[in-house]
Amino acid sequence: MSEGIVREILRGTDLAIFGYFVALNSSYLVLMVMAGLEFARHLRRVPFAGADDMFRSPLTLPVSVIVPAHNEGASIVAAVQAMTALRYPRYEVVVVDDGSSDDTFEQLRAHFDLVEVPRVVPSEVPYRSQVLSVHVARANPQTLTVVRKTNGGKADALNVGINLARHPLVCMVDADSVLDPDALLSVAKPFGDDPLRVAACGGVVRIANGCRVVGGRVVDVRMPRQWLVRVQVVEYLRAFLMGRTGWSRLGGLVVISGAFGVFRRDLVVAVGGLDPETIGEDAELVVRLHHHLRETRRHDYRVIFVAEPVSWSEAPASLRVLGRQRRRWHRGIAEILGKHRRMILNPRYGRIGLLALPYYVLFELLAPFVELAAVVLLPLGLWIGAVDVGFAWRFVLVAYGYGLLVSLVSLFIEEVSFHRYPRWSDMARGVAAAVLENFGYRQILAVWQIAGVLGAVRGRQAVWGAMQRQGFGGDVDSPEMVGAGRG
Amino acid sequence: MLWLFTVVIAVLAGIVAVTALAIVVVRLSRRRRQRTLARLAAQPRRALLAFVAENGEEGGDELVAIPDDAWRAAEPHALALLGKLRGEAHLGLVSVFLRRGAARTALGRLRSRSRVRRARAAQVLGDLELRRAVPELCRLLTDRHAEVRVVAVRALGRIGDPSAAWRIIAALDRSDPVPSLLATHTLVQLGPEAEVTLSAALDHPQARVRAVCLDALGLLGAAGSVKRIARVLSDDTYLDVRVSAATTLGKLGTRSALEPLSQALRGSRPTPLRAAAARALGDLGAAAAVPALVEVLGDDAYQVAHEAAHALRRLGPAGIDALREVVDGEEAERSGAHTRFSGAAAHAREALAMAEVLRGERVGAAA
Repeated sequence: MSEGIVREILRGTDLAIFGYFVALNSSYLVLMVMAGLEFARHLRRVPFAGADDMFRSPLTLPVSVIVPAHNEGASIVAAVQAMTALRYPRYEVVVVDDGSSDDTFEQLRAHFDLVEVPRVVPSEVPYRSQVLSVHVARANPQTLTVVRKTNGGKADALNVGINLARHPLVCMVDADSVLDPDALLSVAKPFGDDPLRVAACGGVVRIANGCRVVGGRVVDVRMPRQWLVRVQVVEYLRAFLMGRTGWSRLGGLVVISGAFGVFRRDLVVAVGGLDPETIGEDAELVVRLHHHLRETRRHDYRVIFVAEPVSWSEAPASLRVLGRQRRRWHRGIAEILGKHRRMILNPRYGRIGLLALPYYVLFELLAPFVELAAVVLLPLGLWIGAVDVGFAWRFVLVAYGYGLLVSLVSLFIEEVSFHRYPRWSDMARGVAAAVLENFGYRQILAVWQIAGVLGAVRGRQAVWGAMQRQGFGGDVDSPEMVGAGRG
Repeated sequence: MLWLFTVVIAVLAGIVAVTALAIVVVRLSRRRRQRTLARLAAQPRRALLAFVAENGEEGGDELVAIPDDAWRAAEPHALALLGKLRGEAHLGLVSVFLRRGAARTALGRLRSRSRVRRARAAQVLGDLELRRAVPELCRLLTDRHAEVRVVAVRALGRIGDPSAAWRIIAALDRSDPVPSLLATHTLVQLGPEAEVTLSAALDHPQARVRAVCLDALGLLGAAGSVKRIARVLSDDTYLDVRVSAATTLGKLGTRSALEPLSQALRGSRPTPLRAAAARALGDLGAAAAVPALVEVLGDDAYQVAHEAAHALRRLGPAGIDALREVVDGEEAERSGAHTRFSGAAAHAREALAMAEVLRGERVGAAA
């Protein structure tokens, strides 16, 4: 009798898991259709978008590019060189050296001939560390500022940068990011087009591993050599490019990557800057902005995402580093959703409260638990005879086949819209990676993500991830919310 | 139940195969299209470059004679060239476009049902700097789609006909206005002849309009409007407008702006206005502003003290001397004690250090 009940429960659970996978991948498909429509809209408007006019206008809003850096000695000079050569009429770069123990500052001082200035650092947004010194480039004092401070974490470093930023827009960029020449122009353009409503704008982040980078510019886009990174390329396309564009079109974007995003400085100051206690400080800032703007302006604001041009970042090339990254990302999701739980299903917060945040709870936070449950319960059901073999293989094929379809659709939309990978071999590798990610990658990802959620529950202190950058090919350790897309 | 799964698997497999095939087909067809376009555009592009090299004096007839399909392939390149050329070469290329009927086509498309076609047409007319398109472009300023209105404003700026000033100002006075910075830039592009209209619009009931006109007057260097702007600075009910007025007075750089800006610096005024006034006094370049700026160097509001210090730096020797005096005075008081500098001295030190660095930069640049 009891054995029969167990079998029924297992059978019912397997069916529920199956339904969950179908719903999850269908939601991805909807977001991709939205993204596809947005890309078509964007591409039709390129001829009259007025990017050149913006570049020539003396009134284009100036931007402070804030680059937090912690032990980035290997790549910081090239990164700052590239950032000071972007195509934008007026901007400054503020590098915040967050207590590096390597030669990050010495590299900068030697290369840019830094000279110390006794800057008064305001406290418009709180920071908990101590600013040791402020420096400017002797040859270009208005363009490059370097701050040395005691270690306080990425969010704290960004807050110091925001305090020192002189311009009305602040762009937060990871120190290992390589920006396309027009990246700043594109991501700041919505503020010029709709200055009264646009509060923040995120840019797309793509994977730079395998690409040829010359003089701080990606000049030849290629698929990475390692399969582990190739799988992440497909994942980034699906989750970052398509997912965020889809959410942006739906008016529910809650994630702007810390690797590349522009914010109105006055609004960031109004909400108190970034939260140093949260690992996913970039996404948390966006959710807090939504919270603030929904309460003060009701619905009259926009948080948007632009899909082109892009910021290129290194992706982890080893399982160890990838695991650490994903644990941090998922811990970030858990912390943010916990911190802002009152917004969830609260009509006061419109689409954010009723759609975006519940989605993140259901399809981001819980997804690894369901994934792992499927990995455990399906074989268990087979073993005790609750599930027959015919059902099991069909279950696996449909669930993972649907996931594969979602990945292929994202590759198709990429091919139609931006087609950044010109080689046939790269496209073939992308398709192969979309298949391969179902065999082991997603399952191990689920384990790391669950560990991340448990870390959030235990509530250990948030710190910088140990950086191991060696030019391209090292670690990326900025917290993100990534929709992995599951089979 | 199992049969349903089997059907779903078969359907999924079919869609996956079609999607993979579609990726290949899209890539193949795009490459084929690109090759065709490149082949078609090759000759017109050569002709365009030769035309530009001849400063637009020769080769116009050849460009007009290019078949339509080849010209369409090269048209994006030709339009990009239009934006970069000046003088005779620009006029010559505009003439080519006109002889090919581009203006007629674009004017017709301004009434298209598609907003993308309307916007593209407005863009072309702006690139061609076609004055006779101004009334039609002004009509587009009330288009129901914001993106069309934005392109129309930009096109009017490129054409630079001052008669459009009022219509652009009117486009700011609606619930979904054109972006302020774009409107300002466009009004500036209309040139000094728009000054009278802009000055009159300082009495407009809409605050956004007044702020835009102030910014435009500042960029146009409308020194004749200083009195009116000073009145806005003291009397306007909107803080943003008063901040714009202060900034504009600084840009205009006339001596008569000194008194109203000094008044705006007083402690009873809102902090953003005081900071803007301090910055403007620095822009003014009048040594007479030094005492007022020194007075607020120790202000509790960071922005005010910071702007005052750097305004003094920009004022030149008189401001630098005043900053040194503040620092020296404090150092004498401290007489070697290891205490922190006061707010005034800290801001003064920062400004002096920047002055030193900037001086070095200028010397380096000159060398």
